[in-house]
Amino acid sequence: MKLWFKGSAGLAKHEEAMQRLKTLNIFAEEKDCYTMNAAFLKQFRNALTGGGKSQSFGLATSTPDKHHVDIAFLDDYATKQWEAILHFMVGTTEGKPPCKGVLNLLGRSGLMTGGSDSGDNMDAHDFANHMARQDFGVPKITHKGFQFLLQDINTQVWAFLLQYLNTAESLNMDLVEVLTFFFQLGSLELGNDYSSEMLTETQKHLLEDLKAYGIVYQRKKGSRRFYPTRLATTLTSGTPVMLGSHSNAAKIAAPGARKGEGSGDDDDHGFIIMETNYRMYAYTDSPLQIAVLNLFVHLRDRFPNMVTGVITRDSIRRALFKGITADQIITYLTTHAHAQMRKRSPILPLTVVDQIRLWEMEKNRLRPTTSWLYSQFGRQQDFEGALQYASELGVVVWSNQKRRIVCVTAEGHNAVSGYIRRMITRHKEQQQAQQNEQRQQQAVSVAP
Amino acid sequence: MVKAVKGNDSSVKQIILGLNERGQFIIEDLDDTHVFVDASCVEQLRADIDQILNENTYNAEEANK
Repeated sequence: MKLWFKGSAGLAKHEEAMQRLKTLNIFAEEKDCYTMNAAFLKQFRNALTGGGKSQSFGLATSTPDKHHVDIAFLDDYATKQWEAILHFMVGTTEGKPPCKGVLNLLGRSGLMTGGSDSGDNMDAHDFANHMARQDFGVPKITHKGFQFLLQDINTQVWAFLLQYLNTAESLNMDLVEVLTFFFQLGSLELGNDYSSEMLTETQKHLLEDLKAYGIVYQRKKGSRRFYPTRLATTLTSGTPVMLGSHSNAAKIAAPGARKGEGSGDDDDHGFIIMETNYRMYAYTDSPLQIAVLNLFVHLRDRFPNMVTGVITRDSIRRALFKGITADQIITYLTTHAHAQMRKRSPILPLTVVDQIRLWEMEKNRLRPTTSWLYSQFGRQQDFEGALQYASELGVVVWSNQKRRIVCVTAEGHNAVSGYIRRMITRHKEQQQAQQNEQRQQQAVSVAP
Repeated sequence: MVKAVKGNDSSVKQIILGLNERGQFIIEDLDDTHVFVDASCVEQLRADIDQILNENTYNAEEANK
């Protein structure tokens, strides 16, 4: 069995896995031979072959569908649904707003701001309007949301589903059933239709939601069959989703609008050319990508297969105000740089990268620190003692020897103030003791 | 609660001193790059500084129009 693994790293993982399986009593080791627990073995075989009642690979419908749909249609559907969500996130008005479930999820996952809790009693359209109104027409995309947009589609789908799992509990859904259904989806075959009759109530509800994300397709609500789309079938496989890049997706969505020409098309991710004079040319016709660019580029002209724009202080500041960081912008530009740009090193012109960073720093010229100020120390020793104590704790923000002022952070305030109080009382006690001693001495000298 | 404000340059500090003449919020003037201000004023201060700096930047887009 050890021959299955390459290198020591794989072997270590294998040993860890075997250890766990052993503690679960699934495997027993005997003289370097592993034996599988009999009951587990039987069920495992059952699961692998899809036998029994568990239906680990979904139940294929036995009768042919009158309204059979082909793979191209499913791809189209998945793309349309998923992009609708992404479109909504970047704030384009294209297409109708996604349904309430999606909006709720976006709000709860912190990908977008806008009262996710207040929308419980509104229908989808009202809710979208409500969110839109909060930011003068554009629902706010958050820092996290932008990060989300930068990821490839498989990661996005998983992030969405994980978030769904988090919220499932609050919706009184059984986590086990939800998870089972997710994994089951991953093993379904694209282009086949499956029966929804065997599903539990929870899973049927889940099906409705997944339909909204474009992960499964159902012809109409309550239909007895459903089709997994490419988003679903690639869930558990490591291979990149074919819909992976948006430009590819755009090709599927609008096959006639795009001719395969130019080197940019070969490299799915590279379409941005950035010049040292802050001008940007993007070879794309995907409204989604244009919308993403619009978040931080001042777009000027739009042609059938490209857009031009310029990065300005205002455009970057607009993005910064939305919580998008300079690093995120730079990463986006780098990962989507045109093939011609990649030949150079560094990929992006240094002037542009530096300037974007400078604009970000300019926004943070003020750095406030919550702190407490101690001043008017009576004696130099008191001040020095306090300063030394505070610097030992590492809580000094600022100090001045001459003016006897020391600033400590809010965390250090309690400790330092306690120390100073103790120091001053001790000093007073000493003084009193000295005075008493002096008096006694005087008394002694008077006595004879 | 009070806050110490640290800027990276003295120009911002001078702007803060100018703003202080409108509403007294500086508790202690520490040095060229530090002032000690009332915590409740920090957000307002940040917005004010932003606005002043904005007025003083050359905008290529607008200049071309």
